[in-house]
Amino acid sequence: MSNRPSGSSWLRGTTIRKGGNGSSASTRTATPQVQSTSTTIFGGGVKDPSGRTSEYFSMDDQCPVCKSDRYLNPKLRLLVSACYHKMCESCIDRLFTLGPAPCPICNRTLRKLAFTPQTFEDLTVEKEVAVRRRIARDFNKRAEDFPDLRTYNDYLEEVEDITFNLINDIDVAETEARVARYKQENAALIELNIQREEQYAQYLREQEEAERQEREQRAAELRRLEEEEREEREKGRQELIDRLETSTKDAAKLVARSRAQAQKRADARTQSSAFGGAAKAFRGRTNQGAVVADEPHVPLADAWYAYDDKYAVRDTYFDPLSEDVRRDKDKVFRAGGYRVEEAWERALRFAVASLDLAPLQGLHSTAVAVEPPVISADGDVIMAST
Amino acid sequence: MTADAPINGQDAPQSSRIPLYEGSTQFRHWRFSPEQLAETRHSLNIAAVSVIRDAFESNELGSSTQVSFLSAEEENLLVKLYLGKIPQLCGIFRFPEEVEATAMSYLKRFYLKNTVMDWHPKSVMLTVVFLATKTTNYPIALDAYASRIPKTAPNDVVDLEFLVAQSLGFDFTVWHAHRALWGLWLDIQTLPDIPLDDLSKAYDGALTNIRASRLTDAEFIYTPSQIALACLFIASPALASAWLRSKSGQGSDDGISAILEPVKAMVLTEGSLPDVEAVREVDRRLRLCKNPEKIPGTNAYNKKLAEKQRKAEEKRLRKAELQRKAMEDGDPFGSTLAAQNLDDDEDDDE
Repeated sequence: MSNRPSGSSWLRGTTIRKGGNGSSASTRTATPQVQSTSTTIFGGGVKDPSGRTSEYFSMDDQCPVCKSDRYLNPKLRLLVSACYHKMCESCIDRLFTLGPAPCPICNRTLRKLAFTPQTFEDLTVEKEVAVRRRIARDFNKRAEDFPDLRTYNDYLEEVEDITFNLINDIDVAETEARVARYKQENAALIELNIQREEQYAQYLREQEEAERQEREQRAAELRRLEEEEREEREKGRQELIDRLETSTKDAAKLVARSRAQAQKRADARTQSSAFGGAAKAFRGRTNQGAVVADEPHVPLADAWYAYDDKYAVRDTYFDPLSEDVRRDKDKVFRAGGYRVEEAWERALRFAVASLDLAPLQGLHSTAVAVEPPVISADGDVIMAST
Repeated sequence: MTADAPINGQDAPQSSRIPLYEGSTQFRHWRFSPEQLAETRHSLNIAAVSVIRDAFESNELGSSTQVSFLSAEEENLLVKLYLGKIPQLCGIFRFPEEVEATAMSYLKRFYLKNTVMDWHPKSVMLTVVFLATKTTNYPIALDAYASRIPKTAPNDVVDLEFLVAQSLGFDFTVWHAHRALWGLWLDIQTLPDIPLDDLSKAYDGALTNIRASRLTDAEFIYTPSQIALACLFIASPALASAWLRSKSGQGSDDGISAILEPVKAMVLTEGSLPDVEAVREVDRRLRLCKNPEKIPGTNAYNKKLAEKQRKAEEKRLRKAELQRKAMEDGDPFGSTLAAQNLDDDEDDDE
């Protein structure tokens, strides 16, 4: 950056390059090169948390318009147009200095100021981030703005729909109309939410500040206490020495008593400092808003009748057939989830299943269509009727 | 759950709900009246005979006149003999009862759609047992299975497998009477004053009867619960009627008893293996009237094979042509599906 003409480098703000080959860059620093005649400020790009824009940069960069690459021009810098096509700075200067001109790739009319530095390798990501940022600015409703969870989810779905359409260029005109309509309809709410957002950011900052102050205060308090304790200890020792000097009582008893007193004081101190911290732990979880009652889930039930009124399964039976499974202490047989009660139930169900179903009579008394065997063209009997 | 939303099956009146058994494929596809059963077998036999006669004639004119084809009854006799072999085969491998019963059901069902003159039950029997081990979750490796059966290669078993599965209509689940009998055994214990000795004696007797019932057509006509109860009736009428009384409650059990009578008769009269000598005679004749198209090495077989290959080749060419045309039109995947007339109809089933 230092080898840039200073006139443009301070205007560019703090743009750092990533992905570049460090060693080759350092050898170049000795020979300053004028690489762009432009003094244009290229804004935009995606900022990282520290507020800087890290620019994507690779050794294989090549300008799709003039085909100059990093080998020919080590200072090659590709910027991204509003239609997400890359161009080098000199091409941009050449094409757009005289005013808006069509993009050499897609013919969309572009302006010089609308070029932005590239942040992501993949330009679709670049576009997605830009679209999402733009949509999030207007579609900033929150869960509190909706009567229940369902409408909020519908709204989120709609937002995602619009975003998807814009990213993938589906029905752009119609989607833009939707966005405009939404903006118009919800202008007041959008404004309100922006304010809320700011307030919330403000609140966060304040809270952080308050916490920091509290921490400092607590540290000061701790220091003060330590100081006091030290003084007290000093005083106690002095007292003990004085007493041992003046008193006629047993020395060992006096020492023991003063020890006990000191212990009592120390206990009182630790107890008082244990309070205070816990009270704040619950502060964060207050205003959660009313919980929307979710309808209970009704499982889909079928119309089968499993003869369940015809039998009752007992807890146990005398059953040599299932003896091995039930006796199996290591649960090897039942490892897959086999339950002998279920096998019993199935057997009982079999025993009563359609016990009163009358057998079919005659040739045509049935719903089951029995087709005569069909002879196919090549003279073979067609076996399966399907 | 609100009262005015009868979505749940629990709220629906009992009458509108479909009993579970009536949803089974056994009920929907494999339930017949005795007359239908006879009619099905008869028409199948007639159709098969005419096809095989044609095959003979096309091979050598007039050669079919001295062949005496099997009748439907003779076919059934042969099937029944091989039904009796399945328990022996399962005994060798110590397969559970479930496999045995399933395999027997498969064999019976298979011969409602096929004739023994096309497929000999001797080989189909091996396949149905192998298929049944898989569908009842007692799988055995094919090599292990085939190696213990003399003069059988693994391919002999699996070659028929798809044909069998297709003939069964892929209805692999069978409702077995022996499971219903187990349910009876459990439920009778809830009745008061039943000595366990009597019960287990009755159970053993009933199980013997159930095994006999597998040789009959009972499962095509009656429900498994009816067969199980009828078998228990034969073994111990007292226990069976006590249980039936407890089930029917205040209502009369005459209806069910009336249904059970013919089941009992069927198990007692038909539930035994056919006379081996009679079957041997049938088998000897079968050797002469087998469908020549199904016997490897015969002219008819070779002709059929050539015909099949020609058809496959034709189909391949047709497909290649369509593909080429599609490539020329610029769409490698062809036009819409409806426009294509690549039909897989006639020559897909054996």
